[in-house]
Amino acid sequence: MANYHSLSTLATFLAVRNQESHICLLLYLGKLTLSSTLMSLHKLIYLSLAIFLSITLAGVSNAATAPQYDSPELAVGLIPRTPQQIAAFYEARGFNKPMIKKLKQQCFITVWIHNKSSRVIWLDLAQWRFSNADGVITRPDRRYWKAVWNEMQIPLAHQSTFRWTLLPESLDFQPDEREGGNIVLPRNDKPLMIQATFPTGADKSGMPITINFNSIQCAKDP
Amino acid sequence: MRHIQQLWLVVLCLSLLSPGIAREPVTLPKGILQLAPYSAPSMELKDLDDEPYNLKEDNGVWVFVHFWASWCGPCREEMPAIQNMANTLQAEGLKLAMINTAEDEDTVFSFLSAHAPEVRPLMDRDGQVTEKWQPRGLPATYLVDPTGQVRYQALGGRAWDSPPYLAFLRRLLQNQ
Repeated sequence: MANYHSLSTLATFLAVRNQESHICLLLYLGKLTLSSTLMSLHKLIYLSLAIFLSITLAGVSNAATAPQYDSPELAVGLIPRTPQQIAAFYEARGFNKPMIKKLKQQCFITVWIHNKSSRVIWLDLAQWRFSNADGVITRPDRRYWKAVWNEMQIPLAHQSTFRWTLLPESLDFQPDEREGGNIVLPRNDKPLMIQATFPTGADKSGMPITINFNSIQCAKDP
Repeated sequence: MRHIQQLWLVVLCLSLLSPGIAREPVTLPKGILQLAPYSAPSMELKDLDDEPYNLKEDNGVWVFVHFWASWCGPCREEMPAIQNMANTLQAEGLKLAMINTAEDEDTVFSFLSAHAPEVRPLMDRDGQVTEKWQPRGLPATYLVDPTGQVRYQALGGRAWDSPPYLAFLRRLLQNQ
């Protein structure tokens, strides 16, 4: 029974950390081999097949929910995070239950940005537009969160950690610079549209780059 | 007389060459930004043993100021390279200020045990010193010159123990 339980845990884990799936698979198969004296061969085959499917489905699932933009100048990726992932991350940093509860109610999207060009490209979140079928979505900014955490009397250390996990409000991405962080939106089941506009040039006088991400889903717990 | 002429020629050549050497710009490795110098924000922190540290006490030498957190992936990747670099360059005069941003002792201790056991962490317990420095993100590295001016900034994590970065830092130490 322990192995069946491990399998479901593993499948969940793989959906979360697909990149490490091969290592996990090897570890799991090692464990499986050790305990195979207690199982018949056909059960072993079914389990191996289940692992293979879980890896494949995890890959498909991630591919479907992690939109990317890539050009010779700029690469941008979005990775929606499940409430479980968010809770696990912040719980491990010692955040208290009210803070975790508040965070689990949000839609977290991890954004990574790579300036592949030889000029400055600006991240300016004030120029990003978020919407769904109901209309424009207002993104709570750092001032909002600071007020919320102060109201909840959250320790400064946890407020600081939370801020450092957010995508900067504004940053002049230098050539070859990579940075990332979370954007936090009100959780909603409807597909999101994000229009991300990046001014270019040190003084923002260059032609802006505009990227449209359509049909982004806030990630749900499995 | 001929020997004196040759000597003058050598002296002349050296005098022409030396200003060029002194003014030779420091070659910047990838990801290092030269900044318009500004006074380093104040930094008074304690280490894991509760020993105080003040950045001002390191006036007169170059200081490698680094902000990190255990949850940040690039910080984990970069930390062993920083320790390797420090093992070499501290003996040559480089000082390090390794500031952990807003984590507790247990987290910092267990992280460094695994990644860089010889690094002395400074504890920015409430994250307020990090806020003052306003890094672009974590990890973040600044190089503060012997007069207390911030002169360089590194973008993200860097391979500090690789030849280009070691040569760059050595050049700074030799020019101080």
